[in-house]
Amino acid sequence: MIVNQHVGGLLIAASLAVALIITLLPMPTPVSAAQPAFYTMTVLFWTANQPQRFGPIAAWCAGLAIDVLYGTPFSEHGLAMAVAAYMVVKGRELLWSFPLIQQSLLMLPVFAIYEFVLFWIDGVAGLDVNPWGRWLPVFTSAVLWPIWAFFLERIAELEVG
Amino acid sequence: MADFSDDDTPRFLGRRIAPGLKIVAITIVSIVLMMVDNAHDSLSTVRGVLAVALEPVQMAAEIPGDAADYLKNYFDRDDLVHENEQLSQKLLLLQSRLQKLAALKAENERIRALLASASAIDRNVLIARILSVSPDPYRQYVKLNKGSVDGVFVGQTLIDAHGIMGQVTDVTPLTSRAILISDPNTGIPVQVNRTGLQTIAQGTGHTGALTLPFLPNNADIEVGDLLISSGLGGRYPPNYPVARVTRVVHRPGEEFLDVTAEPTANLNHGREVLLVWNNHGDGAQPASDHPGQSGKPAAPDDGSANDAKAP
Repeated sequence: MIVNQHVGGLLIAASLAVALIITLLPMPTPVSAAQPAFYTMTVLFWTANQPQRFGPIAAWCAGLAIDVLYGTPFSEHGLAMAVAAYMVVKGRELLWSFPLIQQSLLMLPVFAIYEFVLFWIDGVAGLDVNPWGRWLPVFTSAVLWPIWAFFLERIAELEVG
Repeated sequence: MADFSDDDTPRFLGRRIAPGLKIVAITIVSIVLMMVDNAHDSLSTVRGVLAVALEPVQMAAEIPGDAADYLKNYFDRDDLVHENEQLSQKLLLLQSRLQKLAALKAENERIRALLASASAIDRNVLIARILSVSPDPYRQYVKLNKGSVDGVFVGQTLIDAHGIMGQVTDVTPLTSRAILISDPNTGIPVQVNRTGLQTIAQGTGHTGALTLPFLPNNADIEVGDLLISSGLGGRYPPNYPVARVTRVVHRPGEEFLDVTAEPTANLNHGREVLLVWNNHGDGAQPASDHPGQSGKPAAPDDGSANDAKAP
């Protein structure tokens, strides 16, 4: 954990862009349904790692990118991202008191809340909601969280030295 | 992107805005934005600007697929030669049919002119390329490489060589997004070509199937019936093929038939699509429209069935 060191804004932006590209890569439908939310993981990682620089408002802005690219109601993903980021900011101390592997379990409710906000807004907006398949990314994201966070941590360490 | 902080000054507990208050504010702003977005078109400019800014990301995401296509073409020269031969043959066949069609078209237009009918055969079209399909597995969208700069407008119909694919829902300056008829949140008014029976076909979320939920048990419909767009509702142009009935199930005791149809258009493969200008559409269509509209007979030497605006 390198919370007290400043990671460059450029690095954060670049990692978000890469995660967004991974999210947008065309995938066959069965894979796509279970695809981990790399972008959400990256946003939440920076919220957990750099809370002074990357809080719920930045997470909200980052979520807007998804809304624009997916064509979902404006700020739907923004709101979900901000709520998830808020949970991470609140539970940050607890989160970092565990090793990355065990953080998986703590991140599970965060990803679930993120997905629930989307599910709820889709329902209110009258869009067709797939009730079961859409929870798959919650589990795959949580499972991949240690690997992805480890990877981002190393990159951040490389930069701050 | 979002590489800025919430607050530039270092913050400690008790010296900053309560985060709880902040999240409440974000929630309220988000809900207001979503309601505004739902009710008006006013946010489309913001979306457009952001979409242009995010264009590099979108393009980067397409590189692997495009590169794979390119490599495949590079190594499969025999396939290409073979395909080229096939296409040439097909072109020849189609051209011979087109000759007949041109005569029929001229005749039809003369007759229509006699009837003083406003309906025209020729439609202005624009060829667009599918940039990407929906990354969201529960929504059937495609992204096209033509935007408002090219005259694309919301509600424009998307077709391919075999039938109607969908309609444009979002337009940014350089790209647009179209919902496919197989999206579970969309429906298209159709009529059975054989009988003229009107109904609505709804998407199911699978590219290979539409459902016709509103047909009474005694409706005259059979497997193999072609469904064409009826043009009712004014969203889709009439008389384009939409789907072919693949399954009709009579359920004793139920009031409605369970009918499934397969879209005639290739919804899940193919990269080029046509955007159609509805001739009786609103003012969004380009000024230089086709001469063959509004009852005026087109020049008989106008051989091509489609006036492609772009190569």
